[in-house]
Amino acid sequence: MKISFNWLKEYVYFPLTPQELSVRLTNVGLVVADIKQVEDDFCLEIEVTSNRPDCLGAIGIARDTVAAVGGSLQIPAVTPAVEKGKAADKAALAEIAKWVTVSVEDTMLCPRYTAQIIQYVTIGPSPEWMQKRLKCIGLRPVNNVVDVTNYVMMETGQPLHAFDYDKIADKKIVVRRATIGEEIVTINGARRALFHDMLVIADGKKPVAVAGVMGGRDTEVTESTRRILLECALFEPRQVRRTSRALGIASDSSYRFERGIDPEITEYASRRAANLIQSCAGGEAVNGFIDVRSGKHETKKITLRMERLNKIIGVEIKKEVAVDILKRLHFRVLDETSHLIDFEAPSFRGDVYREIDLIEEVARVYGYNNIPTKTSVSIRGSVKNKYETVENDVRRLLTGVGFYEAKTFSIVDASVLQSINLWSDVSGLDISNPLRLEESRLRTSLLPSLINVKRYNANHGTERVKMFEIAKVYLAGEKLPQEKTCLSILADTDFLTVKGMIEAILTHLGVHSKCESLPFSKPELFRDGRVAKLLLDGKILGYMGEGSSDLAFNVPPCLVELDMDLLVEKANFAKNYQALPQHPPVFRDLALLVDEEVAWASIEKAIAGTKVSFLKNINFFDVYRGKQIPAGKKSIAFNLCFQAQDRTLKNEEVDIAQTTIIDVLYKTLNAELRKQ
Amino acid sequence: MQKKIEEAKRGLENEVKAITSLKEAELLKTKYLGRKGVVSDFMKMLPTLPIEQRAAFGQQLNALKGEITIILEERIASLPSEAAPKGKQELFDITLPGTQPFIGKKHPLTQTIDDIKEVFAGLGFDVAYGPEVELEYYNFDALNIPSDHPSRTDFDTFYIKNDVLLRSQTSTVQIRVMEKQKPPVRIIAPGRVYRPDTVDARHSFMFHQVEGLLVDEGVSFADLKGVLNQFIKTYFGQNVQMRLRPSFFPFTEPSAEVDISCSLCSGKGCCVCSYSGWVEILGAGMVDPNVFHAVHYDAEKYTGFAFGMGVERITMLKHGINDIRLFYENDMRFLSQF
Repeated sequence: MKISFNWLKEYVYFPLTPQELSVRLTNVGLVVADIKQVEDDFCLEIEVTSNRPDCLGAIGIARDTVAAVGGSLQIPAVTPAVEKGKAADKAALAEIAKWVTVSVEDTMLCPRYTAQIIQYVTIGPSPEWMQKRLKCIGLRPVNNVVDVTNYVMMETGQPLHAFDYDKIADKKIVVRRATIGEEIVTINGARRALFHDMLVIADGKKPVAVAGVMGGRDTEVTESTRRILLECALFEPRQVRRTSRALGIASDSSYRFERGIDPEITEYASRRAANLIQSCAGGEAVNGFIDVRSGKHETKKITLRMERLNKIIGVEIKKEVAVDILKRLHFRVLDETSHLIDFEAPSFRGDVYREIDLIEEVARVYGYNNIPTKTSVSIRGSVKNKYETVENDVRRLLTGVGFYEAKTFSIVDASVLQSINLWSDVSGLDISNPLRLEESRLRTSLLPSLINVKRYNANHGTERVKMFEIAKVYLAGEKLPQEKTCLSILADTDFLTVKGMIEAILTHLGVHSKCESLPFSKPELFRDGRVAKLLLDGKILGYMGEGSSDLAFNVPPCLVELDMDLLVEKANFAKNYQALPQHPPVFRDLALLVDEEVAWASIEKAIAGTKVSFLKNINFFDVYRGKQIPAGKKSIAFNLCFQAQDRTLKNEEVDIAQTTIIDVLYKTLNAELRKQ
Repeated sequence: MQKKIEEAKRGLENEVKAITSLKEAELLKTKYLGRKGVVSDFMKMLPTLPIEQRAAFGQQLNALKGEITIILEERIASLPSEAAPKGKQELFDITLPGTQPFIGKKHPLTQTIDDIKEVFAGLGFDVAYGPEVELEYYNFDALNIPSDHPSRTDFDTFYIKNDVLLRSQTSTVQIRVMEKQKPPVRIIAPGRVYRPDTVDARHSFMFHQVEGLLVDEGVSFADLKGVLNQFIKTYFGQNVQMRLRPSFFPFTEPSAEVDISCSLCSGKGCCVCSYSGWVEILGAGMVDPNVFHAVHYDAEKYTGFAFGMGVERITMLKHGINDIRLFYENDMRFLSQF
C-alpha cells in the first residue's frame, strides 16, 4: 500500500518528518518499507498485513497514525445521507428508479450494491492536485471521473466503478452469476471467457463488469460520456479471489475485496466520489441513492479483563492507558467496571472479535519495544533424545574421515534413476500441483540425488567426492506415507573401505549385534555381484555396493543407503568397563586354501562353531589368488588370537584348539592348510 | 689396535682442516665412513680378534664412527655458505606445508541448525520432529488458519491429495507435540518445509525452518522477549540489538516480527538491511487461544509463545551468502568454505 505523505496530513496533523513518521508507523505494525521523494511530496510504501484491510486506504492509515502519534482524525464531509424509509427517501428512490433498476440475484456473493447517477458531466483531465497525489502513489491519471474513483478507493479503501450510463442496456443492473458461453472484454482490452462460478455485473443484455475485479470496456467512461452510473458495492472476498485467480487479473479493486472491506463505508465512499466528480467534472447527481443490502453489520460486545491483559503482556498496564489506546483506534466503550471493560469494535475492524485481539491492539500501540524483556522463565535442563545423539555422532564420524554432508531436494523428477526404491515395491508419491516436472515426486531414495551431486561436481572440476546425506525417503502408506530417515553415502573409494567405515560407525554407536552381509539382486543401481544387503539381527539395515557401470562414471563410486531409525534403535551408549586382560594373548597365523565360493562369513561361522572358550578374535588378513594357487581356489589368510581371562595359555592347549579349528574347517568347508 | 684407531682419528683431523668445499667433505666422509672406508676396514678385522676382545673393540669402533661424524659435520657447518647447495647433507625444511588429513564438513545449514539447537538446549528446549507429509489439519486447521485462507491454495501449498500436503511450515510440530504432551512444553522443531515458489536467488520450493514453542502457566509476551533476546545475543553477538514489530500470524496473538540490528553496518544502514539498519530474522507471538482449543489445553490456565525462523535466511545473513540455490547444489568448492 502506497501513500502520499501530504495526502495523509489532510486527515491527521503531526509535526513529524516522513522518516520520523515511518518509525512510529513501523512500531505499531505498519511497516514502512520504503520512502521515496516525489517532487515536494513523499511516497511511503507500507506493508499491510492480511488481517488489516482497513489500512488499504489513506483514512485507515490516518487512524493508526492517530493511535501511534496522537492528534485527531479529520474526515472529509460529504452530502449527508437521507434517512432511510422516510418520505423524502421514498420520493428520491422513485425518481432514480426511472433511470435504473438494480437487482442482486446472489446476495451471499454481493451483500450490498449501491448506485448513483450523475448527469451532465464533462470528461477531461482531473485537477492538478488530484493528479499529483495519484502520481505520487504510482497511479496513472486517466480522466477526471476515473481518477475520482481511484482517488476515493485510495482514500477509503473502498473500490468504486463508474459506468457510462448511456451504454447500459435496458436501464438495468443485474448482479448475477455468469452463464455458460458469456464473455467480456475488460478495460485492459483482454477478452475473457466467463464461467458460472463467477459473479458479474450485467445490464439487460450482457456482463458489463466482473464483480470486484475489473470493468468492461464497452461501458467504460470515455471522452464522450455525459452520464455516469457510479457503482459502490460489497463483494464476498473468496468469490473475488477465486475469480481474480481464474481470470489471471489482479487489480487494486480485487486486492481490496479479497481482504474484506468495511461494510459501513459503502455509502460514505459513494457520496464522497459523487461530490468529487461534481467538483472535478461538473454535473449533477440524480436525486436518489440506490442501496440494495441484505443483512446488517452485526456488532459484538468484547470484554477485556485487565488482569488477563497484564498476564498476557507481562507488564502492568493501567486501565486508563488501555482504554485510551482502544478509543483512539475507534473502539467504543459500552460498559466498564474497575477490572472489566466491554468494547464494541468499529465496523472496519473485522479482525478484532475476541479479548485476545483487543490485547494485541493494546500491546502494539503501547509498543512492543516498551514491554520489558524478562528473564524469569523457569530453569529446565533439556533432554537429549537418542536420535539426536546418533545423528550427531554419525555426522561427526563421517566428517572426521573426510566426508562432506550434502543436502538435496526431497522433491525429484519421475525419471528411472529417481524411481529407485530399495525399501519397498511401491512407487513414489506424486505431487498433485507440481511447479515443474523436475520436482513432481517425493523421493524414495537419496542415492540418485547424491549421484547427481557427484555429476555436478565432476562438471565443476571436482572429480572425486566423498559425501553423505541424512534425510527422509517417503514410502507410500495408508493415509500419510512412511517417512524413513536414511543415511546415504557416496564415496569414490572401494567397497571394503566403505564397508569398514560402516562397521566402524556401528562399533562406535555401541551396536552389539553383528552386521551380516547377504547377496542382493536389485541391480539397477549397483554392479552385479558387488552389492550387499546388510542385516542387523535379521532386520534390514540397508544396502551397499559398487555403482553400476550404467551410471557412466569413469570409476563408479561406492553407494550406501542405511536405515537411520534401525541404527538409532540398535545404538547403545551404555559403556561398562571391562577389566584389562592380565594374561598374554597367543597369536596363530593361518592360510587356508578354499574354493572360490567359500565366503569369509562361513569360515568365521565354522570357527565360532568350535566354541573354543579362549578364542578371543579372528582377524582377517587377505585373500590371495596367484601362481601357486590352483584355478577355482583362493587362499585366505587370517590370524587367531587366543587369550584366557584366568591364566596364561600353554602352547599345548592352543595347539589343540588350533587343530580342532583346522579340522572343522576341513570337514565343513573342505579348507586345506597352506604350507607357509 | 687402540693405536690404529687413534691414528685414523688424527689423520681425519688433519685432512678435515684442508677441505674447502662440501664436495671435499663428502669425499672425506666416504674415505672414513664409506663401504670401503677406514671404519669399515676396522670392522672387517673384528672376526680375527679373540672373542673376549671383540665387544670392546666394537664399542671403540662405534665411538670412532660417532666422533668422525661430529668432526665432519662441524667442519661442514663452518664452511662458507656459498659452498653449500650441491651435494650438501639433506636438511629438513621445516617450512614445508604439512601433510593434512582430509577432513569433511557438515553442511552449512546443519551447522546453523546445530548452533540454534545448542543455544536453545541451554535454555531448556528439547528437540522435536514431525512428519513432512502432513494432514491439512495440522498445517492449517489446528493452527487457526481459516478454510478460505489464501495460503491453502495450490499456489502456496504442495498437495499430494485432497487433505494431504507437504507442510509449508514447521508450526505443525507444535500441534503434534501438544496433542501428545500436557503442559509445560518447551521444544524447538527444525525441519524441511515446502512451498511452490519458483526457484531464484532468494526463493526455493524447499527450505528449512526452526520452530519454537514454550507453554506453561504465567508465560507472557515479556518472557517471549526475554528468551528471544537471549537467543539473539548468544547466536548473533552480545552487541546485537533486538526490535519487535507488530505483525500477523493466524496461530499467534499478539504477533511480532523480530529484527536484529544489521551486523554488517552496525545499524547505520546498508544494502543488506535495505538501509534501515534492521534485518528481519524471525516471526513470533503468543500462542493463539484457538490453537490451545485445538489441542484441548485450557487457554485460561496456560499461556505460551511460539516463534519460527528460516534457516537459509539466517545462514545467508551470517556468512554473506547471496544465492539460496548454492545450498542445494552441494558444490564442494562451496561446502568447503564453512
